Parts: sequence; C-alpha cells; structure tokens
Amino acid sequence: MTTQLRAVSLTADADVIRAYGELTDDFNPIHIDPEFAARTPMGGCIAHGTMSICLLWQSLFRSLGDAAAQRVELDVRFVKPVRVGETIHAGGELEPGDSACYRVWVRGDDGVDRLVGTARLLSGGMSA
Amino acid sequence: MTQPILWNDFRPGASLGEITQPFDDSLASAWRGIFGSADAGTPAEGAGIAVAMMMRGYLGVVTPRPPGNVHARQRFTLDAVPRQGEPVRTVVNCLSKEIKRERRYVELGVRGTGDAGRSIYAGILTLIWAA
Repeated sequence: MTTQLRAVSLTADADVIRAYGELTDDFNPIHIDPEFAARTPMGGCIAHGTMSICLLWQSLFRSLGDAAAQRVELDVRFVKPVRVGETIHAGGELEPGDSACYRVWVRGDDGVDRLVGTARLLSGGMSA
Repeated sequence: MTQPILWNDFRPGASLGEITQPFDDSLASAWRGIFGSADAGTPAEGAGIAVAMMMRGYLGVVTPRPPGNVHARQRFTLDAVPRQGEPVRTVVNCLSKEIKRERRYVELGVRGTGDAGRSIYAGILTLIWAA
C-alpha cells in the first residue's frame, strides 16, 4: 500500500468555479457574485467545497488504482475557504498504524490546509 | 416567487424528497472541462461525478435556498461509481440541526442508488444555513 498519495492540482479561477457551478447546478452567489460575497462573513467569492473533494478523488484513484476500487468512506472538514484564483493541491498520507486509512488534505500554494479529513478503505469490494 | 427554505423550516427526521437524474454525456463533458481528460472513463471520474450528482440531487430537492449557505463538513461513502447512462435516484433527509457559535447548522442525509437499486453513495452534508 502506498504511503503517500500523489498530489493533484487545480487552479480555481472564476471560469473553473463557474463551470463547477454548472456541473453541480450550484449557483449560490457566494461562489459567483463578488458584490454579494463581499457582504458575507467570507468577505468575497469562494470555490465550491465539493470541488476540492473531486480533486481528492483524483488523488486517491491515481495513487491507489485497484486498491481504491473498494468502498471508500471520506470524512472531511472545510477548514478554510478556497479563494478565486487560488491553486489547490489534493493529497494525503497513510495513517500511522492503520493500513486502511489515509489522512487527506487539500492545500493552497501557501501550504495552508483548506480541507482536512480521512479516507477509509472499507472491507468489501465496490460494486461494478 | 417562492420563499426560500429557512433554518426554522427544517424538521430533523423528516424526508425532504427525492430526484432521479441520469449520468449523461453532458455531465462527463462538464467534469472533464474542469478536471481534465486524463481520467476520462475511470473510477476517478466516476467518483467525481458521484459527488456532482449528490450535489445536484440535494440542490434539486432542497429548493429554493437562501443565498450564502456554506458547506462545513462532508461525509461521503462511495459504494460504486455510477455508469454512464445510469439513472441515479437521490433521496434527501434532514438528520439534525443546531446553532453553534451563532451559526445555523443543518445536517442532511443523502443516498444515491442506481440500476436495480444498487447503492452508489451515501453522504451527510453539514451546512451553515444563511437564514
């Protein structure tokens, strides 16, 4: 089992955020309306949280291949928003002493976590 | 215009509804436009599409919403990747709600099933509700 997940990156610019809104049908103005977003506690537009989760799946499947073809349980917290234009990186490390669990993260170029959590490989294969 | 669903409207334990949507070519194309084509047709893409379908399901059922909701936590168990062309039925329930640090939290359970009822995903969205 690989101990380090391969990092996968994405730049969350305004076009990508708009495209992700179309993919998910999520047009919450906190993602796409700078004037509205500026008046919220976020203070400006932020990327959709689940965009980071999609990036994390890429990291998991690219790293684990067939091993990821088990049922996988993700539990993640969005600890800091991803701002428009930021490049984010998804990856993780095997939890010490637990061969079925990865500590996963999505970080910015500044090395600060945006999302943290765990990905647990569950027993029993994923159905085809 | 219909009034948005407010935090006060949520009833823990209540079913909020369901929606069925296909994993069609437009979803795959949209996903590749964002995350690239290197994973086209692979489980990495399928897993991302499952996340997108969960969000589309939740947003299609729990509507209209107040603007400014924020996602705080996500639990998501992927049981199978959806197949292209497969209709996925998403059922949404309200699990709980609470106020913490003056923020209105809602937990919604979502479950997605595909052909012949096979389980695709189960998730819990923890949201900070704007109003």
